[in-house]
Amino acid sequence: MITAFVRTLRALLWRSALVAALCSLGMSSISSPVAAQGLPGADTVYASAPPRLLQIRTLVADAGRQTSTGSGFLVSADGLAITNYHVVSDAALEPKTYRLEYTGADGTQGAVTLLAVDLPNDLALVRVDKQDAPFFAFDKAALDGSVPKGERLYSLGNPLDLGFTIIEGTYNGLVEHSYNDHIHFTGALNPGMSGGPAVNAQGQVVGVNVATRRGGQLISFLVPARFAAALLARGRDAKPAAGDLRKDVSAQLANWRGALYKSLGDEGFRDRVFGSYQAPETRAVWFECWASTNASASPKPRASINATSCKAEASVYVASDLNTGVVEVSHSYAKSIDLNQFQFATVLTQLAQPRLTMGGSFRKWYTPQRCHEDFVGLAPAAEHPPLRVMWCAQGYREFDLYDVVLVAVTQDRADEALVSRLNLQAVAYDDALRLGKSFLERLQVAR
Amino acid sequence: MIWIEILSKHRDVAGRFRVDAAEISIGRGYDNHVILDDPYVAARHVRIFRDEEGRLVAEDLGSANGLYLGRSKSRKPQLVLDGSEPIRIGQTLLRVRDAGHAVEPERLAGSERGALPIVAAIVLGAALVALNAILVWFAQTSEPHLSDYLVPTLTLIGVVVAWVGVWALLARLFSGRSHFLRHLLIAQAGLAVFFLYSELAQIASFALTWTTVFTYGYVVSWVVFAAICFLHLREVGRTHMIAKGIVVGVLLVVAIAVQSLQRSEAFTNSGRPNISHVLMPPSLRLVPLRTEQTFMDDVAGLKARLDADRAELKPASVER
Repeated sequence: MITAFVRTLRALLWRSALVAALCSLGMSSISSPVAAQGLPGADTVYASAPPRLLQIRTLVADAGRQTSTGSGFLVSADGLAITNYHVVSDAALEPKTYRLEYTGADGTQGAVTLLAVDLPNDLALVRVDKQDAPFFAFDKAALDGSVPKGERLYSLGNPLDLGFTIIEGTYNGLVEHSYNDHIHFTGALNPGMSGGPAVNAQGQVVGVNVATRRGGQLISFLVPARFAAALLARGRDAKPAAGDLRKDVSAQLANWRGALYKSLGDEGFRDRVFGSYQAPETRAVWFECWASTNASASPKPRASINATSCKAEASVYVASDLNTGVVEVSHSYAKSIDLNQFQFATVLTQLAQPRLTMGGSFRKWYTPQRCHEDFVGLAPAAEHPPLRVMWCAQGYREFDLYDVVLVAVTQDRADEALVSRLNLQAVAYDDALRLGKSFLERLQVAR
Repeated sequence: MIWIEILSKHRDVAGRFRVDAAEISIGRGYDNHVILDDPYVAARHVRIFRDEEGRLVAEDLGSANGLYLGRSKSRKPQLVLDGSEPIRIGQTLLRVRDAGHAVEPERLAGSERGALPIVAAIVLGAALVALNAILVWFAQTSEPHLSDYLVPTLTLIGVVVAWVGVWALLARLFSGRSHFLRHLLIAQAGLAVFFLYSELAQIASFALTWTTVFTYGYVVSWVVFAAICFLHLREVGRTHMIAKGIVVGVLLVVAIAVQSLQRSEAFTNSGRPNISHVLMPPSLRLVPLRTEQTFMDDVAGLKARLDADRAELKPASVER
């Protein structure tokens, strides 16, 4: 859900979008006298930003017109700049169709060369044709993670292609229940500011604008500066990416998902009781859990359904039409009030459809869905209720990853049942088998 | 004494003339024994007489359009008549019979349709309505309303009556008798087969984990539908059964082919197989529980299919 956005004619903002920001000052030599005078205002912060701040535009190569815009900022004297991956993803994946250009806040223009990307953190390192240019430094406290909550930050960027802008906001620590670290920034980011810097009063970079939460008020997100610093260190000597970055994107996606699912397995599960059953809930803190019930529904329900769902917003922007990576564990405990067993089975049928969700268009990204279902009895039978298990999977055409959904329905009683669902997006098949197996083994009769 | 019968295209008797002359002339002119108002018939077209052996013979009197036997295309100057196959002059079919022509024995009243078909139709109809109501009842998971039962039941009855009515009307037009009861029995039997198949398919997909029975359910539906149509056509008229069979068969193949194509294209577009995963009461399970290991092995085997799909789709993505 934290996705970034690029302002575009295609309007791609989902639930959350990001914005880019501009940055400001920067050099430590300037910052100390400023600091000595007490808190500088946004005007002071912005004053030195223009030569360091970029708008990064994606152009359709043939037409030479922009199709989306984002922001970026210089991080070295020889023209290295940081932006968001989602700002340059079209050019990274389809270099024959798209190319990149920058427009500086000081009016300079030129070509942008893509060097490296950090897909999980939505960052990209690019080179622009500048020498001995002023640039932004990273805030030491931000690299250590010791920025105090409430510190004033200034986000810079070019929102909606309206012109370079500075926005004041507040540092509010890291977002909770999130697998990837994101800074919670209270400030008004807008599409087009993606990839811009968020700086402290001394003009040092604390984070990179990446997304906002739709439906919230001023809820915005930054990628912590340490990831940008790491990407810079890693990519400083990189040659311009030859051809497209598909292989790199694919490998990073696979590695990141592998680590995520390993962590999910390592954190382990705890048991939770649902009526006559107990079922696993993850211990990982990056899941957010919600409960729901139909007890107060009208007309009065004829089967009570109590559900809990734990969902990890661990999805990542892969391409302008693919956002994937949700992990969800949910259990619905259903008990008949006055339904006969066939009617109750109809209720279960509705609860148990193994719907695979897609984060992008099927024809471009996925292979067809394949399913298998069967009755499964785990040993020892006294502890495990018999199950009807459905397993559906679809592959990604370009990555060695799969979306898998596992649904298990207990089969020991005609008038009550637990419908458990494990939904794994962008998972290596072996990881899915391992997690699915331990999930099934944890479905037990309550002791 | 000789009877000349004018037949319709469907060989029903449209007119019957008794002639007592030894030789009968037939034509459009008013000097004939039998006058035909057919512009393709000559003023004196044909004469009927008995030959030395006493057989009835038709002879062309030199008409332009000639004399034919039944549907035959070869023109005959003379024809020996057997009282069953008609002759054709112009566009008129004529059958000539003498008074000694043997007719079928009298049918016993009541032997053709006893009470059995009526009882069968009532029982089958009641069974279908009951089955329909049970299905509605089993799918009922919220507040029950009378209209939930009435609407599908009355719709079912209305559709069946309309369908049977159309066939009865066709039968009345083409064979003179509507045979409403027979058409009703055919429609009810077809519907019963269809209901039973779809219910058994659901039960099998759960109890036996035969999930593919849904995949080809539409083929069964079309076959049942074609069988009903063929039986209806047979009741409309028992002639040309081979031609009717071929037409129904061809339409059946076309329908199945088109729907298969449409389903396969929809699958290619959406990647979603058009099946639902049905759950039923646990007591209906007929197969033993599989061990966890067996299930995980089966599921691991899906990877090969997914990877084969990917390999097959790869060329398209590279082009892009």
